[in-house]
This record gives sequence, structure tokens and C-alpha cells, in this order.
Amino acid sequence: MRREKFDPHFVKEECEKYVKKKGGLAFGIANLESLEQIAPQGHNPTAMLPKVKTVISIGVGGGTQGSWSADAKTLAYIGDTETMAYRIAYGLAFFIESRFGYRAIFVPPDMDPEKGARVPMQSLKLHAEVAGIGARSMAGDILLHPEFGMMYYASVFTELEMPPDQPMAENPCPHPSCVTLYKRTGQTPCQKFCPVECLSGSIDENDQIEEMKYDSHACAEMSQQYEAIPSVLLDTLDAKNPIERGMALHGPENQVLWYKLSIGAGELLSLCYECMRVCPITQTALMANPVARGAGMRQKIVEAEAAARTEHNIEQESDKIK
Amino acid sequence: MSYGVTQEMIDTFGDIVFKLSLNKQIRRGDPVRNLDFESIAASRSETGLTDEEIAKKIGLLPEQVSVVRVFTERKHHKIDQHRRLYHLGGGKRWRKDNYKNPLERLKFREDAMLLREAIKFKPELVTKYIEKGFWVDETLNSHLKHYAVNSPESLAIIHPDGELTYKELDEQVEQLTNGLLGLGLTKGDVVSVQLPNTIEFILCYFAITAFGGIMQTIHMSYRDTDIEFLLSHSRSRAIICLPKFKDFPTQDVMLRLKNKLNTLEYVISTGTEATDGVLILQNLKFPGTPQIENPPVGSDPFLLLYTSGTTSNPKGVPLTYQNMIGNARLSVPEFNMCSEDRNISAAPFTHLYGLYNFHVALCAGATNILLPVFTPDGLAETIERTKSTTIFLGPPHAASMLDLNLIEKYNFSSIRFSMFSGSACPKHILKTYREKILIQNRNTRIGQLWGMTETAGATFCRDSGPIDLPLTSAGPAAPGNEVRVVSRDDGTVLSSNIEGELQVRGSSVFPGYFDNPEANKASFTKDGWFKTGDLAMLDQDKNLTLTGRIKDIISRGGVKFNPADIEELIMSHPSINQAAIVPMPDKVLGERACCFVTVTQSQNITLKEICVFLDSKRISKNKWPERLKIIKEMPLTPTKKIIKNKLLEKL
Repeated sequence: MRREKFDPHFVKEECEKYVKKKGGLAFGIANLESLEQIAPQGHNPTAMLPKVKTVISIGVGGGTQGSWSADAKTLAYIGDTETMAYRIAYGLAFFIESRFGYRAIFVPPDMDPEKGARVPMQSLKLHAEVAGIGARSMAGDILLHPEFGMMYYASVFTELEMPPDQPMAENPCPHPSCVTLYKRTGQTPCQKFCPVECLSGSIDENDQIEEMKYDSHACAEMSQQYEAIPSVLLDTLDAKNPIERGMALHGPENQVLWYKLSIGAGELLSLCYECMRVCPITQTALMANPVARGAGMRQKIVEAEAAARTEHNIEQESDKIK
Repeated sequence: MSYGVTQEMIDTFGDIVFKLSLNKQIRRGDPVRNLDFESIAASRSETGLTDEEIAKKIGLLPEQVSVVRVFTERKHHKIDQHRRLYHLGGGKRWRKDNYKNPLERLKFREDAMLLREAIKFKPELVTKYIEKGFWVDETLNSHLKHYAVNSPESLAIIHPDGELTYKELDEQVEQLTNGLLGLGLTKGDVVSVQLPNTIEFILCYFAITAFGGIMQTIHMSYRDTDIEFLLSHSRSRAIICLPKFKDFPTQDVMLRLKNKLNTLEYVISTGTEATDGVLILQNLKFPGTPQIENPPVGSDPFLLLYTSGTTSNPKGVPLTYQNMIGNARLSVPEFNMCSEDRNISAAPFTHLYGLYNFHVALCAGATNILLPVFTPDGLAETIERTKSTTIFLGPPHAASMLDLNLIEKYNFSSIRFSMFSGSACPKHILKTYREKILIQNRNTRIGQLWGMTETAGATFCRDSGPIDLPLTSAGPAAPGNEVRVVSRDDGTVLSSNIEGELQVRGSSVFPGYFDNPEANKASFTKDGWFKTGDLAMLDQDKNLTLTGRIKDIISRGGVKFNPADIEELIMSHPSINQAAIVPMPDKVLGERACCFVTVTQSQNITLKEICVFLDSKRISKNKWPERLKIIKEMPLTPTKKIIKNKLLEKL
């Protein structure tokens, strides 16, 4: 089937409009060639969609402002919003196919079961970083955005061509206040407050990230259900007596795992957010805060109304003059 | 399918697989954002490799790497990590120092778990006890804290050397608790105490139980052999004792036992002179609020008392707070006890009876008066000096005061209530005692209580009950308890005024003997009634009258012991062929031991020679026979067992 040709800039604008309308905060196109060079073999975009032309990355905001004030137990349930990003990306893939007639796929945000622990099918973080809607932080490579703070990302591959964006010119991490703390104590807030001490690293003399060390195994034990659940099951089998066995499965610390498992495809990604709770970028980036975002939108409405009134007044004045 | 993976392969390649996989990621600078492809490629191995990449690097199949990785990661896995979630957030910031893994914090030693396994009650009874309020979440120290906060200046203790308010007592208990915690003692550990009714006993009792420890009492009359068994059976970690008691070198004996027993770690003396291997109690007091990570709760055991039992060795009776403090709390209104009362115990605190009345007074917020060693004069003088209002004593205590006319000699007018227990209660002693005090206080009343180590205060006469009832009866069941008398032949419940075996069930009844399944099987009915081994009758109002005992144990002044081991020792004497000890009725002590022997060659064996022989075997004096009867032939059953009833007839 012959496919209609579209202006790549027009297509990009249409896709971005779609994403923003559905609640996405950030939209970017990653340079395909760069990705092909950086991603490990088998995890590059063409390994998944051979004729891919464009890698779209979208970002949605993290938890609400209120959620950051909640205790860890509450935050474990409401801290992640990644399914919102997945829904938008899935919709975008359908939108591209139906609106423009080019093939698109929602990139699975899942692990590659054949490749080992913590190996994703495709790195959504890599897509977002190269697309310029996030930069790697000292907090275990969590991407941060100067305006939107911590976001959840999703990607769409399509055979429709769109012009790529550039990675961010500046990395918002480390925040100046983190540099100050680091110089005083040798630790950034995310390093200091990590419950499993999985973060370490250094900041250079130009106040840039010199080295980031991340014990992902320690972090995953604490925060990733897909890591913890098999361990809990193995502990159950290894238990010395029925009481230990029962506690391994039903102990209070494991209840949240079963609950999240039983509710299925809810917000399942993470349990622990302490590094982001203390991250000044996540907490103070203007548009990371839905309250501030709303205020900005309300301000725009006010301004639009004021502009309309002014225009109306001008017309009235003109009428009078006439 | 294990892809040919062996444990040896996991052991061999585990470390390198763990190191290479995506476990620890390192990133220098910001190469991706800067699209620094060379740097990204160079640092590939530092950001972790997939199983496929690792397989190529080390020469295994990717599938083998996967298995090796999973098992090695598991070795590094710390199961406690997701527990930390509950210690985070809500304005709290993660502080490493503030966190202790609950598995560590709430850990129990293996010996402590053994004892906890003995705490087993009938679930349907427990439901009833809790629903009716017989059992609540209370501890010995929760009552102390309550009065230390709400009536800090009230007198808690009067002892020969001074007084302590509840606040002062609480402070001293905290100091000693710090010291015991400093030794590494933890919840569930048994700490033994062989002390008279002194302030040190009280401080130790509160301090041991404050951190969840379990106090085991050892009677003052006990010597090497008895003590060794008790310390060994209870797996006690520490013993607190006098430096010496009369002619018994307590501290030295305890040190010897410490070297002999693996479980005994500390000998703590109330003396002042430090000796190698002995800690001084006074030096274990440190100011500050104790940091108790695993505080005791109502269902915890806190006492391990030993009965004489009917087997050759004493039986361990663990008691929970709910059993014993609940029993005391429920007794307070029955005795009309209040914070104005001054209570004195003639019974030693190493016995259940002594502890019971101490608890009752504590629950009422009253003052406990300590009488370190009973002497008739000492008791009478202390009552006069301290203006005691309530007294818990045994008939021998009263009899000895009556013999010396001490009630006439001293001022007993403050005594409003006297409770008798501990041995058979002869009517004439109780009656004469009451009459003598009535002259000084026309409102004074007496009561009678029956209990065992296993049952705590099982039945007792109420302060407001019929005046003369205590002369012949130990009253109705305590709140939370039931009593019944059953036929010894078929176990059917007997109607009133018929003698049979006494059985007790209720909230104060112990859960079962520690580490003694045979005794537990023999002592309880299927529906949870404890077989006391005593003979009794109940009247129409369910008031209890004890009529005798089934068991052969000797009850000398309320201190019961099984003569079996003594008989065995006596029979080891070269001049003696057979021996049997039976209880000989006694006006003062209730019973004394009478030894019947048949001799081999010499006809000249005397009571003194037997006592010297037992002394050489380190047997407590209270177990020595006090009368000897040499007979030609023992009455025997066809299976050659001595028929003790026939010996009793000879007395």
C-alpha cells in the first residue's frame, strides 16, 4: 500500500499536540542513529522494529504534590504514574497509524526475560535522554527535567519520519543546594537518605557529576516487586519451620507486594521514593508541581480573558469613534 | 532443568557473574547526554552486562549464567530491606542509626523459645478470659510505672533500712535494668534469684522483668544439688544471690556451677567485695531510661517457679503476666485492698504465696512491707512499727506468735485483714489468732486461701464473706477460676460435700510444665482442668475445704518436697536396706518427714547418722527426716512397691 507523504515537522506538531492533550508533559524525538550506536545489540530500536524511522519519547509527571508529604507506605501505592505514560503512548501509536497510515508500536516497558536481571527490552531512559526530555541524575540514573522534575516515560517507535531533538544542553543535576551539601558533608541528599545506601559518587570542581555509583541490586531488593517476590518465595521454601514459612509469605513487609500483585496492572513499578522525596529538582521544579502547573494554566486563562477583554474594549472604542 | 549447572559451577563463577551483571552501575561524567560514544563504549562493562554478554566473557552458556546469577544474587540478598519501607517517610527522613531490623530487634534466643513453647492454653478458654477482662495487657512493670506516674510520692516499700516511694522505686529499677541490659540479657532469658525478702529481691524482680526477662526463684534453704538441677533445667543465664547464707557459701557454690553449666554466664552477688568471676549488684546500677527494644507484654511468661512435684525432680511452672498479675488484680477488690493499705508477707518471695500477695498490694498501689527473715518476734515487731493493715501468713507463722503470746505483747490494732494459706489450716490456730487480734481491733477479719504454684490464688475467702467461713474453708473460686471435685474412680463430677480429687480451671492456672510432657499429659484433663492431686470437698455455695492429698509429697511448713530422691540416697547408706519417707502430722509445720527403714547388718543406725549422711550429700536441711523408725519388714505390693499407707498407720 502506498503511503501518503507528510511534512515531518507537521507530523511532529500533531503528535505533540496529541500527547499534551492526553496529559503528557514532555515530548521529544530521539536521534535514531545515536540510539543505534549506544544501545546494546538486541536492545536497539531496529532490533524491535526494523524499519523504524522515529523514536518518540513522552513524559508524564510524577506523583501529586500531596503524595510527597505522605508516609512511605502511602507513597508506595500512589507514587508512580507510569501507567498514565503507557496509556498515552499506546494511544499515540494508534493515533499515528490511523491518522497518518504508518506503522507504530508502543515500546514494551518490560524486562527482557532472556537477558538477565534488570535488563529492559528497550531502555526508555535512553530514549528520553537522547530525545532531550530528561538527563541522568546522581540518584541511580533516574532522569530529571529542569521544569518537570521526575517523570515517568514511555516510548513509541514508528516508521513515520519526524525531525529529531537534541539531548539537553545542561543537566539539572546536581542542584546547587545539593552541591553545597556535598561540599559540606561529602554526600548529596539522595545519597544520604537512601534507605539501603545504594547511592554514592562524586561531584567535580565544576559542580558537575564526576561519578555516579548505583548498587542496583540493593535498590531493587527494596523497591522492585519483581525482584522481591521471587526472593520472598525462595525464603518461604528455605524457612526452617511453619511459623517462619508463614511469616515469609504473610509478614507485614510482604503484604504490599501481594496486594500490588493481586491488583494487576496498576501502578506497579516502585515502592521506594526516598531519593526523589529529597531531590530539590523533583520538589521545586516549577512545572513538576501540579498545583503550580494548574496555577500556570489558570494564569494563561486569566491572561487570555484579559486579552479578549482588551480586544473587545478596543472594538467598542473603535465603534464609538466611528 | 538446570542447564548442567552444578553447585560447584555456582561456587566457581558466582562472584564474577555477580560483579559483571547489572548489580552495581558506575557512570563517569554525563556521556549519553553529551553523545560521547567512545566513552559510552569504554564504560560498557561498568554499567553492567547482560547474561548473554557475561556468558561470552567468561565461557558459559547464557542460560547457565542466568542460573548462576540468580543463586549468587540470592546469597547477597538481604530480606530485611523491604521492611525498611515502614520506617520511612511522613516527614521522617531515613536515619541508619534509628533503624534496627525487626528480626534482630524482636529476636528471641533458642532457650527463650523453648520456654515460650510451654505457653499453651486452650483457645476457647483464652477467648473467654479476654472477653471477660480476666486477661488484659498488663505487666509487673506497667503497674509500677502507673503508680510512679500517678502517685509518685506514695510509699511503695518499707524495708528494714528505709522506705521507697513509687517514684524512687521506679528510678532504682531503671538503674538496675540498665545494668542487666548491659550484660546482654534479653527478653525471654531466665535470671535466677536466691535472695530473702529484701529490697534487693524487689529491685531484681522488677529489673529482670522490665526487659522481658523471666525470674526463677530458688528457696533459701536449697543447696548444691537442688540448685544445680534448677539452674540447669531452667537454662538460667544469671544467678543473683547473697555472698553467703548462714553456713552456706552461696557465691562460691554458684561460681562452681557457672563453670560446670554451659548456660549460666553470670554470678551476681549482693555483697560488696568483688571476687573474680562475680559481679556486684550495686555496681550494675546506671542512671538513665533503659532502651528496651522488645518490651514485655501481657501474654509473656515472667516467672519460672519450681514445684516439688511427684516425680524425682522438681517441675518448672512458667507463669504469664495474664495468669499471675491478672489473678492479683482481680483479687484487689475481693480483699477491699486500697492504696492506704500496708501489706506484710510472712511468706518468702521465693514462693508463689509470697509473690501473690506482693502483687495484690502492688496492683492496689499499696505499700509492701518487707520482712527479710521470718522470726515470730520480728514479724510482731514489724507489724507494730509499720502499722501494717493486711498480712498474708501461714498457720505456722501464727502458731509461733501465739505460742510466745506476741499478739498480746505487741500492737496489732492496725491489722484489718489476715489471710492464711500455705499448708493445712487448723481451725483452732485461726480461731485463737482472730480472737486475740479482735481484742485490739474489733473489725479485724481473717481469710483463707488455697493455691498452688500451678494455680496461683485459686480460691479464697472474701473480705466481705461470711465471718466464720475461713475457719474451715478456703472459700469460693477466685474471679476467673472454676473448681470442681471429681471421683477418683471414674472422673465424674461429685455433688457437694463429697470428698474427691480437686480440679481447677481458670485464668490464673498455668499453661503447663516447662519441658516435661509426661507431667503435662498426666496433669490436665482434655477440657483443660488441672488435676491438683489434692483431696477436697465443696459445699453448696462452692466453698472449698481441703481434706488431704493424693500425692506422697511432704509439706513441711508449706514447703513441699518429694521424698523419692532422699529415700534413694538413704538406701545408698551401707547400713540400710530399704527406706520410705512419709508425712508425719505436726501441729506447727503441718507435716514433718518420718523415715521408715529396714537395716542390713547394724541395728545401731540413728536419725543423727542419717542426717549427717544426707548433709554430706549436700541435701537441703528441710528435706532431712525428723523421725526415724526402724522396722523389720517393709509392707510391699506384689510388685515390690512399698505401701506407704500402711506405714502411715504405724504413726
